Amino acid sequence: MAIIEYILGRILQMVPVLIGVSLVAFLSIHLVPGDPVQIMMHGRATEEVLATVRGELGLDRPLPIQYLRFVGGAMVGDLGKSIIQKAPVDEIIGERLGPSLFLLVYSAVLAVVIALPLAVVAALKAEGPIDHGIRIVGIIGFAMPPFWVGLLLMVLFGLVLRWFPISGYGRTFIEHLWHLFLPSLTIAAFLAPILVQSLRSAMLDVMTADYIEVARAKGLSRRRIVLKHVLRNAAIPVITVLAVNIGWLLGGAVVVEYVFAFPGLGSLLVRAVGHRDYPVIQGLSLVFAVIVMVINLLADLSYMAIDRRVLRR
Amino acid sequence: MSRQPYFRALGAALLAAAATLAVGDVAAAADVKRGGTLVLARPEEPLTFNPFVPADNGSIYAIEQVCDSLTEADATGLGLRPGLAESWEISADTLTYVFKLRDAQFSNGQPVTVDDVVFSLRTAGGPTAAYAFGFEPILAVEAADDSHVTITLKRPYTPLLSVLSLFAAAIVEKASFEADTDGFGQKPVCSGPFRVEEYARGSSVVMVRNDNYWDIGVDGQPLPYLDRIEMLYVPESNSRVLGLRSGDYDVIASVPFNQARQLEGDSEVTLEAQPIFRLDYVYLNHGKAPLDKKEIRLALNYAADREAILKTVYFGFGEIPNSYMPKVNYHSDTVEQIPYDIEKAKELVAAAGYDGTPIDLMLSTGDAPGKQIATILQQAWQAAGLNVNIVEFESGTAWDMTTKGEYQAYVSYITSDINDTDELAVIQADVNSGTNAFFTWYNNPEVIDLLAKARQSADSNERAGLYAKVQDIAYHDGYSVPLNFVPSVNAYHNYVSGWRTVANGWWWLKDVSVDK
Repeated sequence: MAIIEYILGRILQMVPVLIGVSLVAFLSIHLVPGDPVQIMMHGRATEEVLATVRGELGLDRPLPIQYLRFVGGAMVGDLGKSIIQKAPVDEIIGERLGPSLFLLVYSAVLAVVIALPLAVVAALKAEGPIDHGIRIVGIIGFAMPPFWVGLLLMVLFGLVLRWFPISGYGRTFIEHLWHLFLPSLTIAAFLAPILVQSLRSAMLDVMTADYIEVARAKGLSRRRIVLKHVLRNAAIPVITVLAVNIGWLLGGAVVVEYVFAFPGLGSLLVRAVGHRDYPVIQGLSLVFAVIVMVINLLADLSYMAIDRRVLRR
Repeated sequence: MSRQPYFRALGAALLAAAATLAVGDVAAAADVKRGGTLVLARPEEPLTFNPFVPADNGSIYAIEQVCDSLTEADATGLGLRPGLAESWEISADTLTYVFKLRDAQFSNGQPVTVDDVVFSLRTAGGPTAAYAFGFEPILAVEAADDSHVTITLKRPYTPLLSVLSLFAAAIVEKASFEADTDGFGQKPVCSGPFRVEEYARGSSVVMVRNDNYWDIGVDGQPLPYLDRIEMLYVPESNSRVLGLRSGDYDVIASVPFNQARQLEGDSEVTLEAQPIFRLDYVYLNHGKAPLDKKEIRLALNYAADREAILKTVYFGFGEIPNSYMPKVNYHSDTVEQIPYDIEKAKELVAAAGYDGTPIDLMLSTGDAPGKQIATILQQAWQAAGLNVNIVEFESGTAWDMTTKGEYQAYVSYITSDINDTDELAVIQADVNSGTNAFFTWYNNPEVIDLLAKARQSADSNERAGLYAKVQDIAYHDGYSVPLNFVPSVNAYHNYVSGWRTVANGWWWLKDVSVDK
């Protein structure tokens, strides 16, 4: 089975990438000034206490030793313990991974739901007033800082209309959908315009292709041509755009996380960097790397589902 | 050993505070609504409930609701009252304290024993504890019998009773702590008014009433009044204000100053602006030219337009300081303030023979008020004839540079954790205290000498005199550029009663009730 070989090959390719990521993450955070113990004790502790705690945490060892300890642990699934929280890093990340992925998928779905009809209309009525209108609204949505959009949505739907909660995550799937609607919409407001524009231009490209002419000549209905041929072929660049943005949003959603008091990976990373919580930062960089690679793999697999020729390339 | 009731050692100032408080309590002794949930939104995240680890307010304020100590801050935070120690005796040479434990239980139903107390206090003074410096004068903590604990000192140390009220002096259940030290940070077993039911890191802590808590409310029933607290981590200040308005939150901590004035006009909520032990100031590194010259440091002070800063940055919240440290119990109002006088500043710069060495005024990236302050100061200091650059660093980096002395001036702040001047006076002004006079490298032998006398004196009048002298000297040495005694600004719905920020910055949620 070519497809399984392909997937296995891709997974194997992840190993050197992960080693590279772990090294870069380790070095960059250790070479930046800042001492987790001094930050934790906020200028109260004496030099002796600081030295003792550093020793207990192994922070007094040479950097190569510290790196090897980290890699050695990571290989057997032990990412170490948070310096300040003392809890296992995999547990701390694990608690936030679910909510963060939920937010991402939800945002992506909302963005697609919003973008798809708009892009189709814009492409079919290209250069008409509707197309221009959609573009202007899109530029506004894209240009407004997510921080601001989030607050506006909170005021409108949380304070005035009281349709949605302004914070929290909820406990059940339905509650997640309800609690995360506003944050997801905030992200979607930023994501959708990008999707609209890329899908629109991809559709316009496809619509001038020979095979569409052939389809038209065969007398297929306009509806059938758009759904079966144009959209299908225009989807590939859009999936690429979506995959790139989702990878970025994993850590980049931090502003939205703050506004909606949402416990996601972005705010965890910011907190960890602020405290120089090395094990958490290192663990997160691995997790981010894996997720980005998995998303890219999924994107590639979906190209194949759409266009069999990709596999042969 | 002379028998002394606990309050005699505390000094007149605290006694006066306690007396006012007693009157206040009687007035409040109407009927109190019991039960219900309080939803409190805060900008800081509790990171751990292990009292021996943290020095961040996110954790400290939460630990205060869950853990007890031998003595504790009273309702205002200015004075002390007995906590797990019902009473204590101090020997004539003030070197031995004997504490009588009250009959109290931990949240898991186990009794609080002398073993737990000895274990906790030894851990608090242990080699890896952040606040070990406060326990350094302690020679030994031992069990005297089943209900008494003896603390002996290396030398007289009057702030001891205040230090014992610290969150870091919390009494933990030894068995639980030892069984799972790492886990204790998530599921603490203490004897405070609440216990942690659910701790969702990064978002919320749910605390429920500890039915075993020893203290009694104004209605004669055991405290606390509330059944439940949801302490939420809401970092974005606009979101907190919106959540208060929408009714999602009952109380919000740290209202940004620019929104506080607006909330004052809201009839459904009460705005609290409570003075606390906090001073916003510009740290100065006396080891770096040109700040090694007293004239230059004083010029920075004379040229600082604090009225303008108070008005534009703090929206009028606060008080222009006359001290190098926050207003703790031995603060002196009589120390003369350095006025805003740009001409005087110019004279001082000339007298110092200033050679044009630039001053880098550092602030942490994202500190918006800090940026405003830095901008105002830069203009004023340039007007006085100094070269000033504003430099921004990420907070961890800025802190690292500060602790290593690789900075010149840093816009920051300090807070006191105890209601005794000693903690900060020593940390800030004694260069031998372990933090190089809080990273200023300020070295004045006279001050160090006065501080040593003050922490050993049991006579509160004498201590007040000594600390006032230190305040006068350090402040007029240009120790720093003090900017504002900043209050804690919080807001709550009118159906919340008993809310009060204590002077240490946190709140006694055991005194709070809700009547929705």
